[in-house]
Amino acid sequence: MLEIRGIRKTFNPGTPNEVRALQGVSLSLPEGGFTVIIGTNGSGKSTLLNAVAGSFFPDEGTIHIAGNDVTHWPEHKRASLVGRVFQDPFKGTAPGLSIAENLALASLRGQSRGLGKALNAGLRSQIRDTIAGLNMGLEDRIDNAMGSLSGGQRQALTLLMATWLKPRLLLLDEPTAALDPKSADKVTTLAGEIVARDKLTTFMVTHSMQQAAAFGDRLIMMHRGQPIYDISGDDKKRVRPVELLEKFEELRRSELLDEAAAEMLERSYV
Amino acid sequence: MSLLIGALSLGLILSLLALGVFMSFRVFGYADLTAEGSLTLGGAVAAVLLVAGWQPVAATLAGALAGALAGAFTGVLITRFNVARLLAGILTMTSLYSINLRIMAKSVIPLANERSLVSQSEHLGLRIFGAPAISIAGWTVTVRDLGLLILMVVFVALVAAVLLVFLRTNLGAALRATGENPQMMRALGTDDRLMVTFGLALSNGLVALSGALLAQYQGFADVQMGIGMLAWGLASVIIGEALVGSAPMGFTLTGAVMGSLLFRLMVALALRWGLNPNDLKLITAGIVLAAFLLPRAMESFRSKKRMPAHA
Repeated sequence: MLEIRGIRKTFNPGTPNEVRALQGVSLSLPEGGFTVIIGTNGSGKSTLLNAVAGSFFPDEGTIHIAGNDVTHWPEHKRASLVGRVFQDPFKGTAPGLSIAENLALASLRGQSRGLGKALNAGLRSQIRDTIAGLNMGLEDRIDNAMGSLSGGQRQALTLLMATWLKPRLLLLDEPTAALDPKSADKVTTLAGEIVARDKLTTFMVTHSMQQAAAFGDRLIMMHRGQPIYDISGDDKKRVRPVELLEKFEELRRSELLDEAAAEMLERSYV
Repeated sequence: MSLLIGALSLGLILSLLALGVFMSFRVFGYADLTAEGSLTLGGAVAAVLLVAGWQPVAATLAGALAGALAGAFTGVLITRFNVARLLAGILTMTSLYSINLRIMAKSVIPLANERSLVSQSEHLGLRIFGAPAISIAGWTVTVRDLGLLILMVVFVALVAAVLLVFLRTNLGAALRATGENPQMMRALGTDDRLMVTFGLALSNGLVALSGALLAQYQGFADVQMGIGMLAWGLASVIIGEALVGSAPMGFTLTGAVMGSLLFRLMVALALRWGLNPNDLKLITAGIVLAAFLLPRAMESFRSKKRMPAHA
């Protein structure tokens, strides 16, 4: 479903701000799989997701989604295959448009938008029914402005919008990082339900070890722009949040060691 | 009475400018300076074509189309060449000054003796009322003014209705959403660059339509007629918002039209009471500035008043 082959990306090359964000990442995600990525800050986990979404083009390597070479497709063209939920709950919706209008826009994801009425009676009742399923009491407010809702409510609706038309690939970029614990729980549960119901191929970045352990059938840890740890099957099922934290601790210690060693070398030779 | 009718006609003509400014200022969140050039462009193209003997309606629409092209050019500068929005508007506006002079070949084109929408509305008025002047509540009104007012009411209502219907279509909703959140629209498969270009074309098309009508109304096209027009449009939009508040879109559009009418009435009254016409632009800018500062001043005033209650 998703084939990533040897992609590299360096931001601001040749400047003091040079960041080698991705250093030769290759991954293959099967149809219907749910892959979770974790990693330290700056490990390249969100960059990898953005590379798949088309926020930038990689310097090297190729990306295939559902058999299409999308390496040089712009972001909006990839949207015909990809549904997305952003870390920032305000990035996925338009605040001045009504809830119903936002969902109507999502109902044409990746399709041409003509001069047909954005909201007809059929779509309205479909929207109302689907939103009623959220149990957030929003079904009677579908004509209210999206901007009147909380971050958690908007993120839940963004999730509905990203999956309104079944995407070939669902990208979740730390969807609960900016939410309070209760809303985060709600959005997490909803995501799990939708992915299971529609058997969506899903690629999720998370900062939460609980989510990483509880979700998905495969877990990848990124570090310095490369996947360094990749488990699936029974190993993934058995993994506990504590073990993941230990992995991080291990990384931190080896980094410290590197720094200490570099310092020692510097002292003896400079 | 003729003062009132004149102010209403002019207010209606300039309400198209207000709708165009609404598109850039409220949908895309910034005041597009292209408007100052495209208003004149609309007037210039319409005037040249009227002198060449074109049908008034066709000449007017051609003026609007020229404005739309100018807006699209600004959009291309912004979206394809990453020129800052304000600078892109300034560049197009400045270029248009020379282009407008080229089109007109002189700085003023008189239209008083040409067949135009004004002369046609005079015919219309004569046909409806049967006399060159009639009396309304004791006031004598020429059917020329009355015919023009009727024509403008119909015309503006039609344009505003079409715009409202359009903004509720799939394409129109995508346009509005792009103005608020381009990242969201990319994720939903719409090229935000096309939407911005299209939106600015629409905005400046409306502004140029206003310019084409204005040239016919005042009886001449003037290469300077666009100067300060952006502030006029902004004043209308802001006054309209003060009238209708944050209402559904239909009301906001109506508000912009009403704001334009009210603004023109205030200007007409102020001029009648002896305001120096040269001060008009200064006062317009003052109104726009006040409209920006007042809500903030009110807010801080309110919070200061609340403060002792908490203490």
